[in-house]
Amino acid sequence: MKPDWLKVMVGKLPLPNDTLERCQLLEFADSHHVLGQVAAVWAPSVNGKTYDVLNNGLYRASFDHGMLRFEMGRIERAFIGSGIEPILLKGASYVAKGLKAGEGRRVSDIDILVSEEDLVEVERLLLAAGWAFDEATNNEYDQNYYRTYMHELPPLRHNLRRTVIDVHHRILPRTSRVGVNSAAFISGAIKLPGHNLKVLTEIDTFLHSAIHTFADGSLDTPARSFIELHYLFADIPVAEHQALLERAHIVGAEMPLAAALWGLKAYFSNEQAQDLLSDFKLGVNPIVCWAYMHKLENVSTAKLAKLLLYIRSHYLRMSLPRLTWHILTKSYKRLTQRPNLPLPPGFE
Amino acid sequence: MGMTDFKPLGEYDRRAIIDALAAGTLEMPLGHFTARIKAQVNTLVDFLYDTYRDVPVKTELSDVTDISIHLRAPSILRKYIRTQVIPDPGFQVPAVPLPTSMAALAFEMGVNLVVALKCCRFVSCHAGVVANEKGAIFMCANSGGGKSTLVSVLMEDGYRLLSDEFGLLCMESASLAAYPRPVSLKNVSIDIVRQLSGKEWISPELSGTPKGKIAYRRARPDDINKAHLSAPAKLILFPSFNPIGGHYARRLSVSEAVMRLIPSSTNYHLLGEKAYLALTKMVAGAEVYEIAYRSTDESLTIVRDLAVKVGL
Repeated sequence: MKPDWLKVMVGKLPLPNDTLERCQLLEFADSHHVLGQVAAVWAPSVNGKTYDVLNNGLYRASFDHGMLRFEMGRIERAFIGSGIEPILLKGASYVAKGLKAGEGRRVSDIDILVSEEDLVEVERLLLAAGWAFDEATNNEYDQNYYRTYMHELPPLRHNLRRTVIDVHHRILPRTSRVGVNSAAFISGAIKLPGHNLKVLTEIDTFLHSAIHTFADGSLDTPARSFIELHYLFADIPVAEHQALLERAHIVGAEMPLAAALWGLKAYFSNEQAQDLLSDFKLGVNPIVCWAYMHKLENVSTAKLAKLLLYIRSHYLRMSLPRLTWHILTKSYKRLTQRPNLPLPPGFE
Repeated sequence: MGMTDFKPLGEYDRRAIIDALAAGTLEMPLGHFTARIKAQVNTLVDFLYDTYRDVPVKTELSDVTDISIHLRAPSILRKYIRTQVIPDPGFQVPAVPLPTSMAALAFEMGVNLVVALKCCRFVSCHAGVVANEKGAIFMCANSGGGKSTLVSVLMEDGYRLLSDEFGLLCMESASLAAYPRPVSLKNVSIDIVRQLSGKEWISPELSGTPKGKIAYRRARPDDINKAHLSAPAKLILFPSFNPIGGHYARRLSVSEAVMRLIPSSTNYHLLGEKAYLALTKMVAGAEVYEIAYRSTDESLTIVRDLAVKVGL
């Protein structure tokens, strides 16, 4: 990926005129699951083959959004009378709120956040409404691992519709070294108009995206994460930028915020992000930045960058002895299981 | 944008094709789709020169393409030792690595997967489609249902090839778009078609593939040159080869036909209502039969009779 492609994808730079580069950009967007988002920006102003290719992305996003609207109704129905109003997170919330970050976005799993004391009841109600623990993680080790250490229940898949819900009760795993105040996110959530569901405020939405990108996992969808941060940052009025810094201190998201501002400066030349970053007294680890850039741009050193980020993500997630045991168990399971990628209908 | 014009692949110097493949700038129109092909595999070059010789291509890209296929080694090791290839369309596909000698199969499977999973402009159903100036015969069957043999036989009967693997239904007009790719023949059908069409139309055989023995029947220049012409379905068939049973043709209702077409589609679930409306419109304009036969000759008799009956 060329560093300025992210600007193209959000409409800050025109599509490349060179045909091969335009092909490569669209193929990159497709394989990084942002073709629909690029299409939301560019489809109205192009024609011919470029339009046709972008249109594929719009079809997929439109299918996902239809699924999401339906599932939101089913989730609400599952909680009727319980007084529980789950908070939609990530893609589901961007689409539900009609944010720019949701336009053309793929939504596959629906992430919801509930308070930990409601967790038992939430699980009971979802199981009663037809969701069940996904086969892949419905074993003693995984169930126990998720429940003891993670920030979410094992993924729930609906028996009939095969849609997946991830039920979070915290922002980060219990064992995470990044001390994020999950309760502050939960108590700050606001009602989604017209629904018995909640969403995070604009500032918390951005901070949650930053945490998800830079303090959880190993930047597995880098292009999508950066594009998302770009749009979510633009949703915060400049007058509230100081409030953003204060909120980051309250919820313990200084490191992820600094990294997000660095990313916005590096890939979108966002001057406001740069100003905020210099106001902010926290730096960003240059080695981590190097790894993010090299993984995103997929240059020759991407393998090393991926390895570094993989190690970092596990370092952040849990202590070394626990991690060693977990990786050994998972590796053993992976080696003894055959990969099972389903073929589309009709293929042998 | 590209300075060269399209001309049949077979008219290019081999060096030019090899260079364009290496650079990933070989552009190939396939009916309403275009493909960009990248590869450094000699067996693929041989296959393209044989089976795609009449397909007009460009060695520079004139536009972005619907399909992008990179035929590459699955790992560094397999680039040099007991060499293998996989089709890489830029997303994870359930394709097994194949020995380099089977590059043709890897390429064909890769292109099919992209059309099945990525291209949303048409409702795609597993079907072989042929047409004359009055309309199309749409033969819906999964691999092994005998549709490729039927397609090849009907091509000799004066029909032009619209598609072998996928029937592509335009959602606006509910007519069938042409997608003239090589017809994929397996095992005994290879000899049948070779006898009927002449050996110069059949690619060298690949033995021991995951699908058994395979060969490809080349699309004719006329099929390729008329690829811009769509055709309405007049006859929709669900054929099955039934060597120990009887032969029959049973007429299906519109509803039964639609319900059988839906599971044969690779993207119906994604397209939803628009796909349903297009399928219903296609079926309403055609007669639909389930047919069973014990031999190729018998299938041809049944299809010819039905074609006359619907005015083809």
